[in-house]
Amino acid sequence: MRTYRVAYPLTWRAMDVLEAFVAFVWPPSFRAAVPYLFLLPALILVGLLVLGLIQIADTSMRVLDRDTFLLSDAYSLDNYRRALTEPFFATIAGRSIIGSLIVTVITLVFAFPYAYLMVRTSSSALRKFLLVALFLPFFIGQVVRAYGWLIILGNQGIVNDILGHAGIPTLRLLYNYPAVLFGLVQYMLPFAVLMLAPALTAIPEELEAAAGSLGASWLKTFRHVVLPLARPGLVGAGLVVMTLSLTDFAIPAMLGGGSQDFIANAIYDQFFRTSDQGLGATLSLLLVAVGSLLVGVVFTAFGAGTLAMGGRRK
Amino acid sequence: MSNDDKRLSTMISRRTLLHSMAAAGAATGLPMLGGTRAFAQEPQKPREIIVRAWGGSWVEALKAGVSDPFTKMTGIAVRHDLTEDNEIQPKVWAAVAQKRVPPIHINWDTTTNATKSALRGVTEDLSDLPNLKSTTELAKPVGLDGYPIVNTYGYVYVLAYRPEAFPNGAPKSWKDLLDPKLKRRIAFYNDGIGFHFPAQVAGGGKIEDIPNNMQPAWDFVTMMKQQEPLLGEDPDFTTWFQKGEIDAACTISTNAREARKNGIDIKWVVPEEGAKFDTDGLWIPKGLPANELYWAKQYINLALTKEAQQVWLDGLGLPGVVPGLTPPADLANDPSYPTKPEDFKNLIRVSSKVQVQNESDWFAKFKQIMQG
Amino acid sequence: MSGSRSKSVVIWAFVLAAIAMLSAPTIVVLGASFTAGNMIEFPPQGFSLKWYSAILSATDLRDAFFRSVYVAALNTIIAIPIGTLAGIALAKYKVRLENTIQVYLLLPFTIPLIGSGIGLMLVFGNAGALGQLWPVAIACCVINLPFMIWAVTASASNLSNDLELAAANCGAPPVQTFLYITLPAVLPGVITGSLLMFILGLNEFLVSLLLVDARSVTLPVQIYNSIRSIITPDLAAISVVFIVCAGVAVTLLDRLVGLDIFLKSK
Repeated sequence: MRTYRVAYPLTWRAMDVLEAFVAFVWPPSFRAAVPYLFLLPALILVGLLVLGLIQIADTSMRVLDRDTFLLSDAYSLDNYRRALTEPFFATIAGRSIIGSLIVTVITLVFAFPYAYLMVRTSSSALRKFLLVALFLPFFIGQVVRAYGWLIILGNQGIVNDILGHAGIPTLRLLYNYPAVLFGLVQYMLPFAVLMLAPALTAIPEELEAAAGSLGASWLKTFRHVVLPLARPGLVGAGLVVMTLSLTDFAIPAMLGGGSQDFIANAIYDQFFRTSDQGLGATLSLLLVAVGSLLVGVVFTAFGAGTLAMGGRRK
Repeated sequence: MSNDDKRLSTMISRRTLLHSMAAAGAATGLPMLGGTRAFAQEPQKPREIIVRAWGGSWVEALKAGVSDPFTKMTGIAVRHDLTEDNEIQPKVWAAVAQKRVPPIHINWDTTTNATKSALRGVTEDLSDLPNLKSTTELAKPVGLDGYPIVNTYGYVYVLAYRPEAFPNGAPKSWKDLLDPKLKRRIAFYNDGIGFHFPAQVAGGGKIEDIPNNMQPAWDFVTMMKQQEPLLGEDPDFTTWFQKGEIDAACTISTNAREARKNGIDIKWVVPEEGAKFDTDGLWIPKGLPANELYWAKQYINLALTKEAQQVWLDGLGLPGVVPGLTPPADLANDPSYPTKPEDFKNLIRVSSKVQVQNESDWFAKFKQIMQG
Repeated sequence: MSGSRSKSVVIWAFVLAAIAMLSAPTIVVLGASFTAGNMIEFPPQGFSLKWYSAILSATDLRDAFFRSVYVAALNTIIAIPIGTLAGIALAKYKVRLENTIQVYLLLPFTIPLIGSGIGLMLVFGNAGALGQLWPVAIACCVINLPFMIWAVTASASNLSNDLELAAANCGAPPVQTFLYITLPAVLPGVITGSLLMFILGLNEFLVSLLLVDARSVTLPVQIYNSIRSIITPDLAAISVVFIVCAGVAVTLLDRLVGLDIFLKSK
């Protein structure tokens, strides 16, 4: 008996104690509750966001008193009336929505060939290179990237330098709508490619070969075989790019020169320039509603795509 | 420590009873330097104090004139927080309302914004600062009891321009900015500050109609929007002038002067419609520990000395609030450096009360037009 | 890749443009950081390391960097157990209301960042917790948690249920099965998720902008604030720190789990 004990390693004994302890506090009859126990911390953590939404909803119904710069104690829907009727907010919303649509289309046009080449290439070195070229900017963050564009596109930046040598007068490339859209496209590219790639992997290459052997040109094959099969990826990528660019703050703030605000910038301004937290909260809640509506509509129309438990963002 | 400083610390120890009692008790054993009254020992020094400031040449000037001498005198490091003035305001307000220690020790602020904070009751009283007695009338905030804030200098929102872009001579009117040649070549503050009042005149309105009828101003701003101006903050103007992004701007002369110091040919004028004159000041948010409050007050007190003002305001090129300052050589008789009554003839001053009540509406209106 | 020459030309044209777009800012920031001049210029004026020595003595930038590292580390440490457990629960167990729970756990992605940030600012503000660093770390953890869960579910799905059943069949009690079978199987997912969490925490900007003040400012916010005042080469030098961190993370990811994991179809 004694020798047996010695041969029994310490870790086993520790494990036995652990098993006994777990069996005591969590008897097998509770087994069904295990997954819920596992989920609980995550549910609580995300609950902070729900709490935040409740606070935003509460704040959104309080009106700013301009004499004391305090929010009213009484509830009113005045902020909602202002947000929905003042043309200023419609302009900003229109700019953001149109912008995010354009950005989504352009981003997908560039992301699709990128993802396709990355998935289909037979050279593992090329695949590795494309992946690194994608992940590096993804991991660098948008502030530093926008900073890079400020250096490149400024009036005395590289592009204007090159144009100057070609005899073209200095062009204003920054601080306008196209600059913001361009910044968003390059910020969104990694997201789109990473959402598209798994969907393209799932398309058997033989299928394309078969279409080709039946006489279809590569454009036709793309149009009738690859694109339809890549739909889950396109939906997932399109949705992520659309919602992220619709709600972006940093790129319009840094590349827009102060006159190209998107919705997030307008919200920030209400909180931190006009000190009208009530109106800011109202705009936030409306943006959350528009975003959720967008996701809901796309989900019901096209399914969850590659987003299932794998949406991604910044 | 000067006598004035000692008096200050005595006063503070009286006011902030609990915190300073211990310190005062500890001080009884110390030698009394030139006074019979007990004075509080210097409260414990914090490692650093945080001063909110505007970036670029503004913070450089403050550092040279006030922060560095303060660190030299006290050994306390000064950190400059470059958060924009409008943005720090709700953060300070929230901190005071939530009974947290405020994010900064001293706010360098426009007088209008500072007055808003004072009316909300989030500023510490500064009327016991010894150096206040040697300041001019400009230092006193208008329409407030005592000194919840202290003004430290005045300034003019001039029309700054690159002479190269104006071959027919200096612009005489704000309307000259509507020249199609200047499309995308002009700049304003992103909230339009400084431009609202001259725009009222240039749009055919009267100063007396502010704030009740400012339609002329908004009409003029709407016309200006067709020029697709750049919108920014103080240091942006300097950068844009230096990088050749703009030819003219409505900005504080300091920003244009900074670009001129860097070798860019820049001049400025007060156009015939006039230009806005205003003041900036310093204040301390409530909720600081007593010792940090003491040293924050010392900082502002230092900022009111002639020596500090001379260096600080040489850097800014602006007229201060203590008598006898020597204007920088390049600014003698300059319209952006008003000292005599006749210098103010063409400058627009609107009462602090009107500005406090309406300024955020004006900011919002300006932004709406420009974003539209 | 099979197909005609025209197909290659078209695809390569788009890919080269995309590579240029993706890499240009990185290359320019790297180049500008080595300038010997006092202005941001590209190509840089001469070569010097003076801006790197400048950031070494700039305490505010250094402090901000360490704060960012602290936020990233704390947010990862919180995310690892929470995300791993949730991921395992979703991938391995039958959970009632699974769809509802999925939608709920995806809230950090579906609520716009500005909304999440403002909500958390109000929550932490009313709790009197703003001005410290841990709320920033918690906030980063919340908004990026789906990444962690997603990485774990992806690798947990690869683990066959039979393996766990076999272990149980051989008499392994539940804790042992969990520690010796389940956890090792999801380890690649945990590594991927942790790296993502860390690097996203290091870069987090918008939510931090709403939650920090001068005492707790993180590096991306510090850079943003400085860019708004004046663009100097020391910002390029400090930005290179981000580029280096990103490079290290990509290398680690590739070595530990292989970047190809992102190409797999689910």
